[in-house]
Amino acid sequence: MLNRREFIKVSALASLSAVADGCRSSARWDRDSYRKTATSRVAILGAESYQASLEEIIRRGINLFKLDLKNKRIVLKPNLVEFDPKGVINTHPAVIEAAVTSFRSLGAREVVVAEGPGHRRDSEYLLTASGVFDVINQHRVRYVDLNTDDVRLIKLRSSFTGLGQLYLPETLFNADLLVSMPKLKTHHWAGVTLSLKNMFGVVPGAVYGWPKNTLHWAGIHRSILDINSSLPIPQFAIVDGIVGMEGNGPLQGQAKHSGVVILGDDLVAVDATAARLMKIEPRKIEYLEAADRFLGNIPYEKIELVGEPLERFQQDYRVIENFQELKVLTG
Amino acid sequence: MIDTALAILLDAQNQDGGWSSVKGRKSNTESTSFALLALNSVEGGTFNRQKTTGLRWLLQHQKEDGSWSFNDTTEQSSWTTPVAALALMSFQDQRQRALKAAKWILTQEGRKPGWVASLLVRLSVVQKMTELDPYLSGWSWTPGAFSWVEPTSYSLITLKKLKGSLAETNCEERIRQGEMLIYDRMCENGGWNYGNSKVLGETLWPYPDVTAVALIALQDRPTSEANQKSLRSLDAMMREAGSGMALSWGILCLTLYDQDIREWKKVLLRNFEKTRFLGETKTLALSLLALGNGPSLFRI
Repeated sequence: MLNRREFIKVSALASLSAVADGCRSSARWDRDSYRKTATSRVAILGAESYQASLEEIIRRGINLFKLDLKNKRIVLKPNLVEFDPKGVINTHPAVIEAAVTSFRSLGAREVVVAEGPGHRRDSEYLLTASGVFDVINQHRVRYVDLNTDDVRLIKLRSSFTGLGQLYLPETLFNADLLVSMPKLKTHHWAGVTLSLKNMFGVVPGAVYGWPKNTLHWAGIHRSILDINSSLPIPQFAIVDGIVGMEGNGPLQGQAKHSGVVILGDDLVAVDATAARLMKIEPRKIEYLEAADRFLGNIPYEKIELVGEPLERFQQDYRVIENFQELKVLTG
Repeated sequence: MIDTALAILLDAQNQDGGWSSVKGRKSNTESTSFALLALNSVEGGTFNRQKTTGLRWLLQHQKEDGSWSFNDTTEQSSWTTPVAALALMSFQDQRQRALKAAKWILTQEGRKPGWVASLLVRLSVVQKMTELDPYLSGWSWTPGAFSWVEPTSYSLITLKKLKGSLAETNCEERIRQGEMLIYDRMCENGGWNYGNSKVLGETLWPYPDVTAVALIALQDRPTSEANQKSLRSLDAMMREAGSGMALSWGILCLTLYDQDIREWKKVLLRNFEKTRFLGETKTLALSLLALGNGPSLFRI
């Protein structure tokens, strides 16, 4: 049987060759998927608890970016992968509610909540158990199960997996902005799971299964790169870091209070900042390192941090034994 | 509730005769199959026009090799094939087309680790990531991927229902292997999730819907210790979950194991009022199957 260390060695070898190739040649991605800018802005805003005035905080955060929201359709993509009454697996419903009301108050024509849970097929259970059903019911928000949505086949704009093409939910093509709303978590396969990894949930289970096994075989890091390079609409990120998860994430780790929300329109910069906040070196996360070459910015000096200082929220998030090397921050 | 759910289901039928996951989308094989199963299970119902056009959609979308893709947009044959075969079997005159599907199912097998991974397995000396046996043979969601519990269960139900007409094939052996895979993936205290009982030594929890489907596939071993343990686990999960999908699959399963489901039916009726099952075709259909003659359509 494959154990974790062996799996990592095998995937690392495969990923390294892919990533190394990516480093050497822009042939790994199409020119139109290149969206790296000279600098990126990331907002760090304190939010002590889920009872805090989250709508005000998130609206203030969104306003720090030049988003054109008037009459736009916004898709909020939270992380609703599983439910454990004793755990902190999912994006908290209070954060989703605050995002719904914020985007509406800023002129959005429609705000949709959409997710394609990776393990469970039972959306009704996940929504009701997590408390998200009450939010969408109270605010009359449309929910789309991305696992069973209509799909469209697209040509991937990068070639890290070798899949060439991928089915994506039709809902994404009919929207103007996709907002990744992950939980701040460590991850036992990928190191961290943040706004880029959260996009695994847009891949339809009805086509790829539960779990989205085709992507696992193709390599998690490489799949994250190909999905994010090929999304059909602009993206934004709102990370729920009020209570995060450390240790054996994304499901069985321990809760860790950080009291922060992180926002930005460069998902690579957002994730790099969130990783630093967990005292994890973003350059040691394979997909982030590769994404820095064409999707966004990792270097500290290329990220304009606004809001509150990173150091105020920076804490040591534990990782599993095999990821100890991620814990050496280099900049 | 039955009348309301039925009305929603009938209203959601597309012009082309098929059903989509929720009203207004493209018809797909899974939704159409469950809708047809439901219409064939409703006591006193006729719905001849709806059933005829739905069946036509299903027959028109069966590929030459006997399989179905998920919908018109996706070309690849898929896990929906055994579900569609079950729907065909709920019609008296469609057994041959169901057999054609079963023969395709027998050509499919979940992916196993290659030689590099196998070599590493032999050299394994440190902590295991998972504790499943990757060499067991079941069915995957999509051709060329790993075997998982739900697609394996659907395939087993279909093959077990049709095995009398598949004597010249390897059907019995594939059934035996599929059962071994399902038991291998069982969670510590019974029941199943998508197909992984432990990760990094930590126990993962089962899901009620998958547990019920797996138990339906294993219904011909009702007294086995694993089945009995999983039945107890299912009961506990249904109390906690309360969703239309969990309760409906649970009722179907418990009926096949001769359990008392009267209270569960009341819970299902109550919960429908809260969420209307999100308008999901499959869940609405499952609830009708659970409240009608559905169990007979899944009996092996």
